[in-house]
Amino acid sequence: MLKYALKRLSQSIVTLFLVVTLVFLLMRLLPVEGYFGARSDKLTEAQRVAILDKMGLLDPWYVQVGSFYKNLAKGDLGTSTIYRMDVPVTEVIAPRIPYSVYFGLVATAVSLLLGLAMGVHMARFKGRFWDKTWTGYVVFINAVPLAVYLLFVQLYASDLLRLPILFDKHDPKSWILPAASMSLGGIAGYAMWMRRYMVDELNKDYIKLARAKGMSSSAIMLKHVMRNAYVPMAQYLPAAILATISGSIYIESLYSIPGMGGLLVDVIQRQDNPMVQALVLIFSSVGIVGLFLGDVLMAMVDPRIKYEKCEGAR
Amino acid sequence: MSEPILSVKDLVVKFNLRGRVLTAIRGTSLDLHPGETLAIVGESGSGKSVFTKSFIGMLDQNGWIDSGSIHFEGVDIARFRKESEWMRIRGRKISMVFQDPMTALNPLRKIGMQIQEAIELHSGLSGKAAAKEAVTMLERVGIGSPELRARQYPHELSGGMRQRVVIAIAMACRPRILICDEPTTALDVTIQAQILKLIRGLQKDFGFTAIYITHDLGVVANVADRVAVMYAGKIVETGTAEEVFYDPQHPYTWALLSSLPQLGIKGQDLYSISGTPPNLFNEIRGDAFAPRNPRALKIDFLHEPPLFQVSPTHNASTWLLDPRSPKVEPPAAIRALKAKYARRAS
Amino acid sequence: MQEMENLSADLFTFAEFDAESGERTGYSDYSYWKCTVRVFLKNWVAVALLVLLAALLLFTFIQPFLPAQKSPTEIYNDPATGMQIRNLAPCKAFWFGTNSIGQDLWSRIWSGTRTSLLIAFTVGVFEIFMGIAFGAAWGYIRRLDRFMTELYNVLRNVPTVILLMLLAYILRPGFKTMVIAMCTTGWLGMALFIRNQIVIIRDREYNLASRCLGTPTRRIIMKNLLPYLVSVIMLQTALSIPGTIGWEVFLTYIGIGLPVSIPSLGNLVNEGRMIMMSPDLRYQLIFPTLVLSFITISLYMLGNAFSDASDPRNHV
Repeated sequence: MLKYALKRLSQSIVTLFLVVTLVFLLMRLLPVEGYFGARSDKLTEAQRVAILDKMGLLDPWYVQVGSFYKNLAKGDLGTSTIYRMDVPVTEVIAPRIPYSVYFGLVATAVSLLLGLAMGVHMARFKGRFWDKTWTGYVVFINAVPLAVYLLFVQLYASDLLRLPILFDKHDPKSWILPAASMSLGGIAGYAMWMRRYMVDELNKDYIKLARAKGMSSSAIMLKHVMRNAYVPMAQYLPAAILATISGSIYIESLYSIPGMGGLLVDVIQRQDNPMVQALVLIFSSVGIVGLFLGDVLMAMVDPRIKYEKCEGAR
Repeated sequence: MSEPILSVKDLVVKFNLRGRVLTAIRGTSLDLHPGETLAIVGESGSGKSVFTKSFIGMLDQNGWIDSGSIHFEGVDIARFRKESEWMRIRGRKISMVFQDPMTALNPLRKIGMQIQEAIELHSGLSGKAAAKEAVTMLERVGIGSPELRARQYPHELSGGMRQRVVIAIAMACRPRILICDEPTTALDVTIQAQILKLIRGLQKDFGFTAIYITHDLGVVANVADRVAVMYAGKIVETGTAEEVFYDPQHPYTWALLSSLPQLGIKGQDLYSISGTPPNLFNEIRGDAFAPRNPRALKIDFLHEPPLFQVSPTHNASTWLLDPRSPKVEPPAAIRALKAKYARRAS
Repeated sequence: MQEMENLSADLFTFAEFDAESGERTGYSDYSYWKCTVRVFLKNWVAVALLVLLAALLLFTFIQPFLPAQKSPTEIYNDPATGMQIRNLAPCKAFWFGTNSIGQDLWSRIWSGTRTSLLIAFTVGVFEIFMGIAFGAAWGYIRRLDRFMTELYNVLRNVPTVILLMLLAYILRPGFKTMVIAMCTTGWLGMALFIRNQIVIIRDREYNLASRCLGTPTRRIIMKNLLPYLVSVIMLQTALSIPGTIGWEVFLTYIGIGLPVSIPSLGNLVNEGRMIMMSPDLRYQLIFPTLVLSFITISLYMLGNAFSDASDPRNHV
């Protein structure tokens, strides 16, 4: 188990390194305009070259990568060029982290809780009224783009429930809609997978033996089916976190939440290259950590995993 | 003869498959006597599994007992509709061992827990006491270092060991009847004999009645006191093992026995039954085996043969036993078998 | 018993044996595609959706050639005042009304649907092509497996949104950018999917058996692999199109989608969003959304219905 976790950890570190380098190099493909910021028009050609040189952008790419990592080690991600001119990127981002973390955690918790409950409910009444109702919900959420249905949630839910339409950190009621919006997709995802895994488990032979043992169907559901269905769900957790990230970028911007997702949209629109780079790196790292945790969690709950990794690979 | 422990009368089991009704068991009867070992044989799809599953209310959701009765301990369990009624029987009075031990255990729970679960359900023991009983059961079914094994997961055990665990679970409640659904089919030949011996040993100690479902006639010869031959949802012949093996009456039994490679004659082609079993979606008229029987009578296609008594313990459902029928000699392989038996008896 | 006595003696003679009749009672009138179609046709919701969707797609592409259609990009002025006809509610001249600069919403919606579907189909076709090519190579060439798996392990860590945003940001916004960005992110998932299917099916016993019996590889692929893959590929494609449309709306919202001058569902939804706070103008958001949702929901449901129908376990 520990061996697997360590192996997986080293894999994640390599991945992180590759992704960071790749993102950095991709960003170098951008036109340099984004580095002059608001001054852009007033600069002479010589001044432009001087600025680029100072930022190290005229060095060969491998030198740039090297100095990038050197700065990264010092916690320096560069300075913002347009969004807040000449302010260190870290300083711009830091106050925004708590909002993203808060909403991310709440959304993950709510969608896990409601999604699993919905999935269990669906599997329990498979093919009957509730299953069909929830399936309708899942189909709707999966099929209609999130960028579309969330607009309507914002528009009509705020009317119906008399909730504020924009986020205001001093008004606790304004936290509700964005958190709920972020959970909608997760609920559908968890419910769908939980239902599928439970139905898979229900069709397995050991359920027959459990029935033949004389267990009641509710005991079988509780002690065998649900427990076993949670195992593959653990693997889905990181994917759901990734999905929450995508949702958060849109939702934070939609509700003007001062988090990192909304910031990313802002800086992309204003073409602030160092900011975009830093935020992309942060979001990618979150993804890598999420997947790592999910895989380790999976290995922890499933006693078979170390065997299957050897045999099942082929 | 003693009072039967389980008595099935004219049982009809139907399934609904996507709006079409399939009759899996077409009105068949069977008596099971206390302490005996009965083997139900027949090819795949003949309904042997469905037949026994109906004894413990474990038909698939789309299946139901259409008519007939199953008397067990003075109650007609075929009338049970609620799960709670079945709970009194299933796992408690009648237990079942399944074909594939590789998939019959929950892969994510420890062996000990899975046995303990069954013990807690039926014996009133709980917690530590049940766990201890589980270890005892493991020892009982011949698993070495049972304390260690109880803490292991199914994937850490071999197929034969897992089948022993499944048997331990089935025995946890000291059932009166144990149904073994192809208990050795998925195992190595060397393990098969061990498992059969184990079940026989347990039967001696606990005194349960056993039903084997199998298409392996070798297993039948090994364990069975009595044999019931099933074809297309109906038992066509029952008798003691000797009667069915050495004096079979039904053409299907002949065909089944003739297709045993051991009975083949060197240098000749092995016998195989031509055709396929009938489609159970359709109504079957007369003797279901008639279309595949090269020596079928005209009446076989029109009227269903009644059960003819051959001896107090032996009966078969074929028109050949009617006095009006022409004399039909069984195939050569069967005659040879009969002769061999007669020689041995004398 | 009385009846039995009355049976005529003639019945107790041998019947003529017909070896064929033993076979005839069996189950063997099965054809995979026939059954797939039959099961699919039984699902009347799916059939209705298929018909409606086909009609809608057909209409989308013939709409510009119909009489009395307006241009999707022209700004209409009121002949009396010379002013733009802004935010006009649906009426006889403008069936779905006009937008905030006086363009005809009806023709913009169909034009936008064409654009979005074109992107979605292009990306879908590319994904299938790359997915099958790389997935098959990945599944069959063992030396490649390690490399592809590692590549996948690296790329799956990066959230699709981030990759998509990054690519769309680096390349300048436009039709090509959109297609390139989405192709870059989409094909790997498809390839992995195909690879897994191929590995699973390749090692199944029945394929092993076929190979042992000397069946040529071509025949194994045609008869054993392809029918199974076709259905899963259809499902994946059906799901990829709604996905692509969704990303298009998302990227447009961020401002790195198609230029505003090209009508697309993303641009229309986005235009509608900007004026959604005034209830009178919400039709500008609702009309495009309805068309978009109908397309995505029906494709999603059709994909699932077809994959159900193509599953042999549902063929009885």
